Amino acid sequence: MSEHHITPLRTYLIIAASLLFLSGVTVWVSYIDLGSFNIVLAMFVATVKASLVAFFFMHLLWDDKKNLTMFLMSLMFFGIFVTITMLDTEFRGDLGLNPETKDPINKRAAFYDTLPLTDTHGHPVDEHSDKHHEDKDHH
Amino acid sequence: MSENTKQNYLNHPKGIMSWLLTLDHKRIGLMYLFSGILFFFLGGLLALVMRFELAAPGNDIISNEVYNNAYTLHGAIMIFLFIIPAIPGALGNILLPLMVGAKDVAFPRLNLASFYIYSFGALFAMYTIINGGVDTGWTFYTPYSTQSTSNVVPMTLGIFIIGFSSILTGLNFIATVHKMRIPGLTWYKLPLFVWALYGTSLVQITATPVLAITMVLLMLERFLGIGIFDPALGGDPVLYQHFFWFYSHPAVYIMILPAFGIISEIIPVHSRKKIWGYKFIAYSTLSIAFIGFLVWGHHMFTSGQSVFSQIVFSFITYFVGIPTGVKIFSWILTMYKGQVSFTPPMFYALAFLFLFTIGGLTGIFLGAVALDIHLHDTYFVVAHFHYVMQGGTIVAFLGGLHHWWPKSFGVMYNQTIANIAALGVFIGFNGTFFPQFLLGLRGMPRRYATYDEQFVELHSYSTFWSGILGISIFIAVMNLFWSFIKKNKVDPGSNPWGGMTLEWTHTSSPPHPHNFEEEPVLQHGPYDYDKVIVEKTYNK
Repeated sequence: MSEHHITPLRTYLIIAASLLFLSGVTVWVSYIDLGSFNIVLAMFVATVKASLVAFFFMHLLWDDKKNLTMFLMSLMFFGIFVTITMLDTEFRGDLGLNPETKDPINKRAAFYDTLPLTDTHGHPVDEHSDKHHEDKDHH
Repeated sequence: MSENTKQNYLNHPKGIMSWLLTLDHKRIGLMYLFSGILFFFLGGLLALVMRFELAAPGNDIISNEVYNNAYTLHGAIMIFLFIIPAIPGALGNILLPLMVGAKDVAFPRLNLASFYIYSFGALFAMYTIINGGVDTGWTFYTPYSTQSTSNVVPMTLGIFIIGFSSILTGLNFIATVHKMRIPGLTWYKLPLFVWALYGTSLVQITATPVLAITMVLLMLERFLGIGIFDPALGGDPVLYQHFFWFYSHPAVYIMILPAFGIISEIIPVHSRKKIWGYKFIAYSTLSIAFIGFLVWGHHMFTSGQSVFSQIVFSFITYFVGIPTGVKIFSWILTMYKGQVSFTPPMFYALAFLFLFTIGGLTGIFLGAVALDIHLHDTYFVVAHFHYVMQGGTIVAFLGGLHHWWPKSFGVMYNQTIANIAALGVFIGFNGTFFPQFLLGLRGMPRRYATYDEQFVELHSYSTFWSGILGISIFIAVMNLFWSFIKKNKVDPGSNPWGGMTLEWTHTSSPPHPHNFEEEPVLQHGPYDYDKVIVEKTYNK
């Protein structure tokens, strides 16, 4: 940029303090078990920190807005990648049906391994489920 | 004519070093073009070997192992060494600065570096071929790719390196479009090929790093045993597919968007009519580039990803149809009541419209989860992909070559032979790939060297026409090169199709080493056929 922005020392110190505080937050939340939400929170805090560095220390906030757009775009694409991938990893094997309240779609699906095997009429079956898979494929 | 106008980028400066160390975007584009065509022939040869193996059900020509190598190398070479680098690298490099009225791209040295990085990566791919090939399929799916004893590492390393070339070219083009346009050439006056290259470049710089990350993770697992994709080490094999397709689906748009750009140039020029829906086409390019990032999971419907993801991906996939439809209808409306001339570029553009539409519509079939589970990994997918990539991208590329050949080299090819070859490509292509839709629907799986007796008829039919297709492409390309020998020169100031963009109106054929003898002044928009009369001038 043609104009060089001069940032007051005070701002730098505030940002540095915030970064240290957020590092503390990262350590603190790692002791709390939030399941898969832990990773989301850790990534969020890290993103906020990286953004503070980019905006203030690297002067992105006062730079050409195109550079800001590029930065935000890369964040957005990364967000898309992680979020949609987690839609898979977090829900894998979940057919969205509760076997207690609804009929399972496939009684021999891996998800229902804990339930006793039955044939199509609901009678208990002892056979290994592989044979049924083959039969089903031919039908 | 002054001595200065006889100078062009082909004859000035002279000497082999002036080519190897050139910073001229046109020369770099030519180097991309010739390497691209070389790899295209190599990939095409592998395709023909496979097709002739498939003419009969047994292992008649090659063994299963060789077949595995052939389809992997065919895919990897065609995608990573030809289609992705060729159109942006060749036609993009030659035309982008000319179209925006610049002397060169924004970073000429980086441009040359991209070419050498591409060549360096290509060496790894060549080493793979000499060293016995690679048999994982071009997608390098884990867990097989971490266990296969074939050359997975040199091939993926080659792709990793070529990826950087793509990123640098993308970066260069974005900077050129932003900073190098002549005064008055506003965004809405840019030729649509420039918009297409801009969209492509955005995808290149945002998606390609993910491919590099994926390849690094693959090697980390292979060499250091870090569990990323291998369940035995605590990894997740489906995660590999997420990584791979997060790049490779947008990569499909890296391959097709420049083709859209070429068609957007050819159709208005050869119909002598203002393009219909300029802004719609421009924005549909950007929206395809964006939506392309949200649909990767539709390659993974049978990979065991969650049902929830499948529904989300299937739903979003259909959105791609909207901007694509906008383009197709705009091109058709451009031709409507235009003065359509049946020149070779226009033949290719018409073939593109037909073939790409079939490719796109069969994509809708595959986007539906329930249907995809049946069609996954069958010849239906092979046919769909080739209708989009060969029927779409390569046909458009051939059209673009024929369109800008007199501009790039100052010579005109035999148009009758070119038209016959174009017809041969069209018929040969349909003959080769349409039966593959039927094969897929009947359950023929992809990637097998042998098959059941019931598929003989369709397979041999497909093989026969693949021969016609191969010969036609060979004739088309040879006809272009023959124009050098025949020296059928066009006048340096000629405009054989009556184009209105800067490369036709303001520079000689072939262009001056510095593109324009004086800075061009924009007099009209790129497709103002309703306002300005541009004569078709061929020879004196």
